[in-house]
Amino acid sequence: MMRPVEHLHLEHVLQTVGALEAVVLRSFGPHGGQVLFTRDTGQAMLSRSGTRILTALRLEHPLARMVVECVWRHNAKTGDGSKTFILLLASLLRMIHTAASKDPHVSLTHNSKEAAKAATARLLADKLLAFALDELDDLISVGVVPYGCVLSWKDFTAKTQSPVQKLLSSFFYTRLGQSNCDFISNLLCEMLTHWKFQHDPPSGSLQFINDNFPALHTPVLGFPISCSRLIEGQVIHRDFATPLTEPDGGSVKVVVFTGHLQPKLLNAGEVLELGCEALGEQENRGNGTSILHYSTFAEISLEYVFSNLQSLGVSVLLSAVKQSAAVLSLATQAEICVVECVSEDELSLFTHVMVKPCSLVICGSGEGQTEQYAAAFQEAIRMVLTTWEPLNTRPTTASKMVIHSHKSTSLHTGDTKPTYGFPCQNSVLEPGCVVPAGGTFEFLLNHALLQHISVCDNHESFPAASQLLANALLSVPRQIYSHSPRYFLQAQAMVLGSVQNHVHPFVMLDSGLESVSCKYHLVLAVLQCVTRLFQIDTMLHTHTRLNTQSRRLANISWEDTEDEAEN
Amino acid sequence: MSRVVKKSPSVCTDLPLDNTDICNKLSLLKQLLISCFGPAGRLKQIHNNIGGRVISTSTSSVLLSALSSSQPFINLIRTSVLNHVSRFNDCGLFTAILCLTLLEQAKQSGLRRNVSIIVNKHLLGLCTSYLQGQNCGCKVKLDFCSSQYFITLAFSVISSKPACVLTEPEALHISKLAVQAFLLTVPCNNTGVARLGKTLTVCVEGHPVLDSAVFPGLLVDMPDIFFLNAENLHGRSLCTVLFSASLAGDLCELGDGNIELHGDADTDSQILDQLLELGKQVVQDGVNLFVCQKVIHPVLQQYLRGQSVTVIERLGISLMESLSQLAGRFLHLFLIPPKAYGKVKELTIKQFGSKTMLHIHPSGESAICTMILCHRNDTMLSELKVVCQKTEHVLRLTLREPCALMGGGCTETHLAAYIRNKSASLLGCSQTEYLLGAEGFCRSLESVAAALDHKCGNSLTDLTHAHYWTLPADVVEDHMENSLGVCGCGLVESCPSKKWTYLNTKYPEFSPAPVSKGTHLQVRVLDSFTSKLSGLQVAVETANLALDVQYIIQDTN
Repeated sequence: MMRPVEHLHLEHVLQTVGALEAVVLRSFGPHGGQVLFTRDTGQAMLSRSGTRILTALRLEHPLARMVVECVWRHNAKTGDGSKTFILLLASLLRMIHTAASKDPHVSLTHNSKEAAKAATARLLADKLLAFALDELDDLISVGVVPYGCVLSWKDFTAKTQSPVQKLLSSFFYTRLGQSNCDFISNLLCEMLTHWKFQHDPPSGSLQFINDNFPALHTPVLGFPISCSRLIEGQVIHRDFATPLTEPDGGSVKVVVFTGHLQPKLLNAGEVLELGCEALGEQENRGNGTSILHYSTFAEISLEYVFSNLQSLGVSVLLSAVKQSAAVLSLATQAEICVVECVSEDELSLFTHVMVKPCSLVICGSGEGQTEQYAAAFQEAIRMVLTTWEPLNTRPTTASKMVIHSHKSTSLHTGDTKPTYGFPCQNSVLEPGCVVPAGGTFEFLLNHALLQHISVCDNHESFPAASQLLANALLSVPRQIYSHSPRYFLQAQAMVLGSVQNHVHPFVMLDSGLESVSCKYHLVLAVLQCVTRLFQIDTMLHTHTRLNTQSRRLANISWEDTEDEAEN
Repeated sequence: MSRVVKKSPSVCTDLPLDNTDICNKLSLLKQLLISCFGPAGRLKQIHNNIGGRVISTSTSSVLLSALSSSQPFINLIRTSVLNHVSRFNDCGLFTAILCLTLLEQAKQSGLRRNVSIIVNKHLLGLCTSYLQGQNCGCKVKLDFCSSQYFITLAFSVISSKPACVLTEPEALHISKLAVQAFLLTVPCNNTGVARLGKTLTVCVEGHPVLDSAVFPGLLVDMPDIFFLNAENLHGRSLCTVLFSASLAGDLCELGDGNIELHGDADTDSQILDQLLELGKQVVQDGVNLFVCQKVIHPVLQQYLRGQSVTVIERLGISLMESLSQLAGRFLHLFLIPPKAYGKVKELTIKQFGSKTMLHIHPSGESAICTMILCHRNDTMLSELKVVCQKTEHVLRLTLREPCALMGGGCTETHLAAYIRNKSASLLGCSQTEYLLGAEGFCRSLESVAAALDHKCGNSLTDLTHAHYWTLPADVVEDHMENSLGVCGCGLVESCPSKKWTYLNTKYPEFSPAPVSKGTHLQVRVLDSFTSKLSGLQVAVETANLALDVQYIIQDTN
């Protein structure tokens, strides 16, 4: 049976996204706060991350769910910008709606006014996306990049207030609040410095930390956050199964086992026959009939194993599985400490890492807090990865637009060329490019778009689209300075002033930093989402037995988003 | 799963601190915790709706875990405090009350939340660096050459739990025992990594508290004492063997397959034969004490006793671990004959009421001791046991940081005076905002001190050391110095030249002076430095977190 079909009106889309916007705004910008939510298990969770907040809402509306999925995808890639995503999306939709409503060319080919409006909106959205795919990277490299600066990997060395630290600090501000953002960004910087591999490109070590983060951090409850720190070595998140013996000093030899040490004499389906005449005659009679023959064999073979381990000087045994009581007993006797049920991740990290490892201890007064911090760490790493990701989009057109001689300065004195290993001649946006936080990117791109319109309004077909995008972009800084509109104008004037005078806004604004690459991805993702939203015209409500979509969303909300990131 | 239940949308609450229902709940929780605070605190009876045991307590860990709320905002604060308590075993009520008062003060001040958070964070930094610094005026260095401070510290913890129902001499006796047990578990030989030993607690009901005692070594329940071999009770060292495997004669694990028996094969007798073989070997090797973590086959027991070996079975894993530390680490499987044996110094029998216990004396230094706790009834005894364990933990914390803070509210008022005197400006807020926030912070600290008083007296602080004083309600202000006696921690004495001011009134800023070393007074109340410092940090951080919460989403599925 099918319920009546529901035609999607532009207003519905607008309403839904508006509702999402209202929720996300609570934790947006410098005056935003935490959102506390409880899982169905009663477990509490804290977040300021847009993605987590949106998925926690467990939305019913299919449109809303689609938007949340778009946000989630974007976040899985860049780790940043999910709140701005919703804000920009809502603002774009509102503008498209206004534009479509007052469009005079209501065509006769459409049955109703609504259908005409929808068609106009769809057309606009398509144009926007086409424009962005075509021009956005060029616009950014001409209009934004020159006013930012390029961070070098050298900045990772944990100097206080290095630009990388500033970039991380402003990221953590949006995720964890002001009070601990400096402390936490210092910790991450230190960790990145420590894990920097000698010859690999730094993105390799970032990717490594990102992949191994569960094994590289330890949440500790009941301590203040300020007790969080880096510790040398790797933490195995299991207790000793045998009493701890004191090491003799010097190095400790460790052996790793993935299987059971005690041999299994009888497998399922096998039968041991005892006291059988025929068997008894063939073998040594005294042993063949006694059960002890077999159990002694098991214990003696174990003893061999342990005497071997002892002669090798092994003092710690890590096991992936639970070992038998006999193993524990013999290990105790041999003064070898056993750790059972060590997770696969930790074992593989332990066996594969060649450099001296270091791991992160995250302290917090509650589980909600340590989880939030751990999630923020991972997202920060993803954000940094995106920041340095080389963008190899359309090198041919790029070369015609980019003014290479324009002052794109590195923060390193006398070091204008970036110092990382991968080639970047082809890319339009220089990897590692950052601009001051607090709406600078939006102001600059807005300015660039407006300039673009004035230059090529004669032969280009996109002026409406770029005008629309330019206006929508301003909604982000407007929200940042929502507590005082005066500051909004001041900030805009300051940025535009520096554009006119060719001054770096970096010097003038004492704010944090934002990644240009993340912002670029964000704008594209939002425009793609807009197009997707307008491609739908009707919703069909059907009765199915398994709602796979909601299951997937439920998974997304609580589980580590890592494994699905590749999809 | 054949049926899929539709998820219902979440319930949302906007700005929890502006919600009257949540605020009422917070203030109720605060009142409840304040009434339990300190040695004079009132007890709470907890009983659940399914007719479980009634618990009388004033301990934060028990109270807070019983007070689970449907409101996640309350639970956020509750779990923070509970996590602190599970880590430090002390200062739970202090943390909870301070956190709740900070929230209340931040709301009353009318400051923007962001400003409150910045100011709180800044002041917390001031407090922690002052407390950790060299010239902290409310800190006492602990000296391991004298047990006096340790007894005071233990006494402060024990006497702050009124549910134990101890008289002062009783509390002092238990404090001394706690310190004695603590010192016994600290190993003396300082080679390599020192590992703390273990105190085992045995509860004896129906005996006076003053009968409680501490013994080095292990005390094991021995109901069938007549089995004991009198020979072994003479003061000579005993050869000991310890088994962790079961010696009951059950089949050992060979795998998942089946065993088929033919003809006259009898696995039970085969295994028993092996056990007796083991018995013979052990007797041959001159073993006098035979201990098994699990069950010993009665035939083997019989045999060993016949050979005048003392047999202890079903000892359990925790006692076994201690015993292996005491007698040398020798745990055996049973099929492979033992190669080495342990030693204990001697066995004696101790009688506590109806309980007969075998006292196993260590042959060398073992850092294992047993504490016998006696009390009049079951409820008080179980509370006393918990309190003793907490005390042990608090004492152990001093090994890491050998200092203590002045108790009885003096640290709180002292810190408040210190902060008031440290006027500062802060990036991100105006001077007025800073002063308003700092005043709220100081008042919160002072009101925790004032919460110690349950007799409706007046709370005062002196204008030299900024210690905490209470003035009974019926005293006229003219005779103040006569009726004040000493301050909360007992280190400052009232004298005519002293000036006092009521708490929560404006007083001139001054730098609180440390108490001069020449005083003849002994400090009477000490608080654990480590747990109070962490409690302070957790309280402020939790309050800041709660202030930062703008929105609550509750999954109702």
